[in-house]
Amino acid sequence: MLEFIIISTLNGVTYGLLLFMVSAGLTLIFGMMGVLNFAHASFYMLGAYIAYSITRTIDFWIGLLVAPLLVGLLGMLVERYLLRRVHRYGHAHELLLTFGLAFIFEELIKLFYGDFPVNYSMPAYLRFPAFSLFGADYPFYRLFIGLVAIGMFVLLYILLSRTRVGLVVRAAERLPSMAEALGHNVPLVFMGVFGVGAALAGLGGAVAGAFFPTNPNMALELGVIVFVVVVVGGLGSIEGSLVASLMIGVFSSFAVGLNWSLARLLDLVGLGDWARELGGLMTLTLSSISGTVPFLLMLIVLLVRPAGLFGERN
Amino acid sequence: MARVWQLLLFVLIMAVLIGLPPLLGAGLQNAMTNMLIAALFAMAFNLLMGQGGMLSFGHAAFYGVGAFAVMHLMTAIDRGGLSFPTPLLPLAGAAAGLLVGLVTGWFATLRSGVYFALVTLALAEMLHSLAPHWEGLFGGEAGISSMRMPWGGFIFGQVIEIYYLTLIWVTLSIGLLYAYTRTPFGRLTLALRDNEERVRFMGYDAHATKMIVFAVSATFAGIAGGLLAVSNEQANYELFGTHVSAQVVLHTFVGGSTVFFGPAIGAAIFTLFAYLVSDVSRSWLLYQGVIFVLVMLYAPLGIGGVVMLHLRHWASIPWQRMVGPYAGATAATLLMAIGTVMVVEFLEALFSPHYVAQRRQAETSWPAFERFGASWEPFGILTWGPPLLLLIVGLLILLRLRHRIVALWDEVQETAETAARSGA
Repeated sequence: MLEFIIISTLNGVTYGLLLFMVSAGLTLIFGMMGVLNFAHASFYMLGAYIAYSITRTIDFWIGLLVAPLLVGLLGMLVERYLLRRVHRYGHAHELLLTFGLAFIFEELIKLFYGDFPVNYSMPAYLRFPAFSLFGADYPFYRLFIGLVAIGMFVLLYILLSRTRVGLVVRAAERLPSMAEALGHNVPLVFMGVFGVGAALAGLGGAVAGAFFPTNPNMALELGVIVFVVVVVGGLGSIEGSLVASLMIGVFSSFAVGLNWSLARLLDLVGLGDWARELGGLMTLTLSSISGTVPFLLMLIVLLVRPAGLFGERN
Repeated sequence: MARVWQLLLFVLIMAVLIGLPPLLGAGLQNAMTNMLIAALFAMAFNLLMGQGGMLSFGHAAFYGVGAFAVMHLMTAIDRGGLSFPTPLLPLAGAAAGLLVGLVTGWFATLRSGVYFALVTLALAEMLHSLAPHWEGLFGGEAGISSMRMPWGGFIFGQVIEIYYLTLIWVTLSIGLLYAYTRTPFGRLTLALRDNEERVRFMGYDAHATKMIVFAVSATFAGIAGGLLAVSNEQANYELFGTHVSAQVVLHTFVGGSTVFFGPAIGAAIFTLFAYLVSDVSRSWLLYQGVIFVLVMLYAPLGIGGVVMLHLRHWASIPWQRMVGPYAGATAATLLMAIGTVMVVEFLEALFSPHYVAQRRQAETSWPAFERFGASWEPFGILTWGPPLLLLIVGLLILLRLRHRIVALWDEVQETAETAARSGA
């Protein structure tokens, strides 16, 4: 049992930190521009594929460095030449545009790399166990993913709260027209934030793609979970998305190994056999519905407290 | 006069829908059945989006629920013991859609805007992730399949029978949806979209109204799903998938959400094209995405919206001066489309596993590849020159004509404004 708890917690925390890397940009962009970016998880996927291409032709570390930059650049272009065009038609149109872009990115990846996973993996010298627990080796690379995410969070936090650039960004988020009146180039700030958000997602993809499978579905699979994280943490709140990422990450890794069900819960009050006879929802185990619970959580948060755990505004 | 034209157009469309299919093969008949279903689904979606102003990203939920309800009823009939007329099977879809729509609608309409979209997304994703594990209700990963029973002299064994059954249901449903817009409640729905606060001030319960609109939309989405189940005789959890919700959004906005029949136009065009093109090209979904983004960027009102704009200003459009630029722009768009398709298909051929294997065999050199019934050199000027030339020429023509068309439309707007002012 202890083994299960420790391993699950470690896996959960690293997965949660990965979720955070992608959701940080999404929540930042929403908080600032009010745009729910459906293409955000596509940036994660593009990061992984670009890093894969660079790794294959040049080197893993260069891929890790260049992929986020390229994805960030793409993000800036998307904001400057596409999103800004439809801004006057309202938020629904911006959202629909990013939705269409997500569609195009996925199909482009399929066009160039095919429908099946590509063989993107870390260099052999990173493939060593960090430590041994209960006779099983724990891969160093999982810790590496977590460390990159933590490093990113610290950097982002310092940038936003301790520098002049961060001050302007926060001002543009709060009161865009006032920041503009004071002589700051708010559209440029928006473009920059969009680019940085995309680059963070790209970095997440470049780092995680080498450990988890890199395939054309990765954007869709992660995308919906990232929405859950951002909503639960509070749209626009970075601290919130960190906490929610960890929560969802730890929950997912624990749920996979648990066979609790409503029937077993009812055993406690002696109604277990009745529940098992009913079947259906009653006998579904937690491990088989581990994919469903995050959405249930998201739904509850949306209905009870739409501002999320840490959000301030609705 | 306008009414006569509308009636004529309606009769023409119905004549084609009734008269054409018997002349076609089973494949096309099936494609037309799917087209009708997609059209109804998009119209149901647009009752919520275009008229109620609520953007749902989880309409697959009701579509799927409708399909599963019909499958359960069909199974019950097939196993005997229950006699139920086969043509009325979609009623089960409607009932399920209504029920689920009422319950989820109560929750979802507590929120608006982006939060509403997220609630619907979460609902559909919940079903999508739950269905493969819930053997009893959704048949696990394989889903449920069953058989249609003959009824009242109809065997329902041929595609054409199913087509006509679908046509009747879809015509009836769209007719009801149209009648809905004419009722006072339909007007209230529009008011809800335009100014919810004012609706509340007038004494209406905005939340209850939204909930009912949501449930009606879900009911018709359930009928669409039910028709799909009748046609396919099977349903599985993928009906709840994100791509189903995505397709209906694409259809609706390309067709135009501000026009009543817009979504049906979008759905018809996309499903028929998908059928015709999917055999020839693997990149159909890419083209679909590109078309959607282009519509969002340059014609945010969709195809229907553009048509309506022209109809509204028909009399004041200077057609003699407009025909030239329009013809030129159409030709230029065609050139660019051909150029794009060539580039995409060439890339597809070059990056296909087939070609990669060919290259491995040829070792150092780059062998020619086959496409459009001809052979092309991977680095040849004759391969990349023509499509790039088409793209550049088309773009230059479009950029030139754009100014002229915009100037002409400014004139049209001006005449319309002066007319409105002198009339007032």
